[in-house]
Amino acid sequence: MNPLRPALFFVAALFLLTASAPSHAAQDLEDSQLLHPAPDSWPSYHGDYSGERHVHLTQISQQNVGSLALAWAFQTNQGAEIKSSPLLVDGVIYFTVPDNVWAVDARSGHMIWRYRRPSIGEHIGHRGVAMYKGWLFFTTPDDHLISLDAKNGKVRWDKIIADQSKGYWSTMAPLVVKNHVIAGVGGDLDNLPGLLRSFDPETGETQWQWFSTPPAGTPNAPTGGMTWMTGTYDPELNLVYWGTGNPTPVLNGKTRPGDDANTCSIVAIDPDNGKLAWGFVVSPHDTHDWDAVETPVLVDGEFHGQRRKMLMQTSRNGYFFVLDRTNGKDLLTVPYGPVDWALGIDKQGRPIPNPDKEPMPDGRLIAPAEGGLTNYRSPSFDPRTGLFIVDANPSWSLYFAKPADGAYGWAGADYDLWGKGVIEAIDYQTGRIRWSHEAGEGGDGAGVMTTDTGLTFTGDGYGNMMALDTATGKTLWHAGTGAPMQSSPISYMLDGRQYVLAGSGGVLFAWALPESPAAASRTHPAAH
Amino acid sequence: MCHGAQRQGNPPQVPSLVGVGKRMTDDQITDMIHKGKAPMPPFPDIKDDELKALLKFLTGKEPAAAPAAPANPEAADDTEQAEPAGTPQPGRAIFQQNCSFCHGRDAMGGETGPDLTRSKLVTEDKTGDKILAVVREGRPGNKMPAFNFSSQQQQDLLAFIRARVAEVAAHPGGRRGVEVSDLQTGNADAGKAYFNGAGGCAKCHSPTGDLAGIANHYDGLALEERMLYPWNAKSAVTVTLPSGEKISGTLAYLDEFTVALRDSIGTYRSWPTSRVRYKVDAPVNAHVDQFPKYTDDDIHNLMAYIQTLR
Repeated sequence: MNPLRPALFFVAALFLLTASAPSHAAQDLEDSQLLHPAPDSWPSYHGDYSGERHVHLTQISQQNVGSLALAWAFQTNQGAEIKSSPLLVDGVIYFTVPDNVWAVDARSGHMIWRYRRPSIGEHIGHRGVAMYKGWLFFTTPDDHLISLDAKNGKVRWDKIIADQSKGYWSTMAPLVVKNHVIAGVGGDLDNLPGLLRSFDPETGETQWQWFSTPPAGTPNAPTGGMTWMTGTYDPELNLVYWGTGNPTPVLNGKTRPGDDANTCSIVAIDPDNGKLAWGFVVSPHDTHDWDAVETPVLVDGEFHGQRRKMLMQTSRNGYFFVLDRTNGKDLLTVPYGPVDWALGIDKQGRPIPNPDKEPMPDGRLIAPAEGGLTNYRSPSFDPRTGLFIVDANPSWSLYFAKPADGAYGWAGADYDLWGKGVIEAIDYQTGRIRWSHEAGEGGDGAGVMTTDTGLTFTGDGYGNMMALDTATGKTLWHAGTGAPMQSSPISYMLDGRQYVLAGSGGVLFAWALPESPAAASRTHPAAH
Repeated sequence: MCHGAQRQGNPPQVPSLVGVGKRMTDDQITDMIHKGKAPMPPFPDIKDDELKALLKFLTGKEPAAAPAAPANPEAADDTEQAEPAGTPQPGRAIFQQNCSFCHGRDAMGGETGPDLTRSKLVTEDKTGDKILAVVREGRPGNKMPAFNFSSQQQQDLLAFIRARVAEVAAHPGGRRGVEVSDLQTGNADAGKAYFNGAGGCAKCHSPTGDLAGIANHYDGLALEERMLYPWNAKSAVTVTLPSGEKISGTLAYLDEFTVALRDSIGTYRSWPTSRVRYKVDAPVNAHVDQFPKYTDDDIHNLMAYIQTLR
């Protein structure tokens, strides 16, 4: 059994005691609650430090999920799509779009407060806030880290993660580990080194920085390696695991010969000092923009008969990786969809890029497309079936690069030809796909969450949110939400009911089983 | 890094900047810094004091006045920005924040978004209505999101896009797109053999039938993209009702739960998939099946052949 999984400690009892009392402890979040999230919480982007996005909640089952109904919907009344995973702490939901944080009462579905901070910089999306004690941590398009009071959205401090005027931005939910708030950046339109910066949660002072690459201008070296998704954490090894983005210049690899470490890599870093423990290059010498920032999912279990501390990633480049997370050694590398760009796998378990499939003046047909065989929407690991379930996108693109495109930023052009969404369940020990569930042509599926009752919550490219049977992929429930889900679902218990939340378009939907008749009669007493 | 700490450059690729103040005015230098000129990248965010200092370093003299900074879109309602005539600064800010990720900062293409400066829809749109319709509605399949801009913001954005089109037309060397001439590496005879043979194209297509004159309608990248996947091809569907009645038409919608068609007189009809049987005929899927089979030479040869169909 995975030692990282939450257990019902006295922490849960403490929550129940304090939840009704308006005390200072209400809506705070301590280390222990991040390490062992209580059932009535979703305290961080992934839900817990493992990134498995698997909940040990059993109220919603395969037998009753067909009755799942809308509990409430929160309308943001603005145009940006919700890509964030909401947090649920002590009955309050916190979620984001670029420049905006909402606090919503999880019982009424109504807004408590909203924080707006218009900014310059890249507004492509936003993954959510982090929380620690009574404070929220919010990254911005102009690459600031803002700390807000969770009670009212007031700014406590405002610090810079990286210089927006150089081309950096931020969209990610930071990771809180002990007394470190770790934030990452985006920015591959310029030749910039990717970085992680750790902030003191009280003062906002920088504790350490880690850079993915040497400084810009270093001969024969890449820049890039952006850190635009949230990492995971192993408290026993005291290592944070992070995926890094593609190197720059993006489509032209001539100025950066070699593997281009630590771009397109999974890295293990000591959260106390930012020192690199190991790095594994998932896409050596990438020239297709295939960021390896997808969730580094931490799983403790058997691998071919031996107990292992593993790290799994369905990477954008089309390969499913299983690594030993104590030392970064590869255990398995298998494609999970069409790929045409590699000559094989090397002795270290890394794909060998085919030089003839680099972008060329007359174009190259490449699978997967530039958006990748998967993207930022989260996968889920189900411990009972050993299935790694991912929103996959079999696809093809044309890639072009010529000398006139230069060696700065994108340095070329690429064009999607075709793709479709498929939810795939991968046997983690072999990489074989146990089942596939079609999710629509021309689009993507949604992020994935699994539960202890064998349910897989996800969505298709047409706006249907769905519950599938984790063992077979069969649809057990669905509801049309009106927009393809660009986020990853969460779930929690509140007041004895299990809720499943997902943002779709500009609306946050909360689903639950209808209240029991006894409970309903208390809510709706007979009219007089 | 390129021009050297002493401004000496590395001619002929990288010009020397010594004495540049005698060759160009401050406005011309500023324009070059902001827009770049291949292989020099643009630096549109160098402004105010930083720009003044840079100009002073380059020219050795105090600059007369620095251009105004791009407006923060929230501030644009409240403040008057002094802007050089014809410089669409509010539109630039809107573009940077919302469009540049996919279309590039200079609108010349970025992460899968096309180069707007060479898009037919953009360059042929006299009124701007077509451009703004795409901005407001996006593109299907979540390829491009819909944007909810005010009328003023839309006009500012349109002005910026048009300015970029004009600038790029004036400086063609800096283009980062795909020219028709880039795609001429194939052999038309080999392409014809592939069309009639291993490609399987002749099963559905004819050079004198449906593809007659195709190269008059499309050229370059647009032709190659359609050749590989004609995204607006229609599929047919036959739905069998519980009664046994069969209804056929053009497939209008299909997901796991709903199937819909337009019948022979154009009426839209839909059914829950749980209540009917249906069969889709999608010839376009042959293009998808072909993707894993192509070599890149096959594609270039096919392009050479298709371009002879005029």
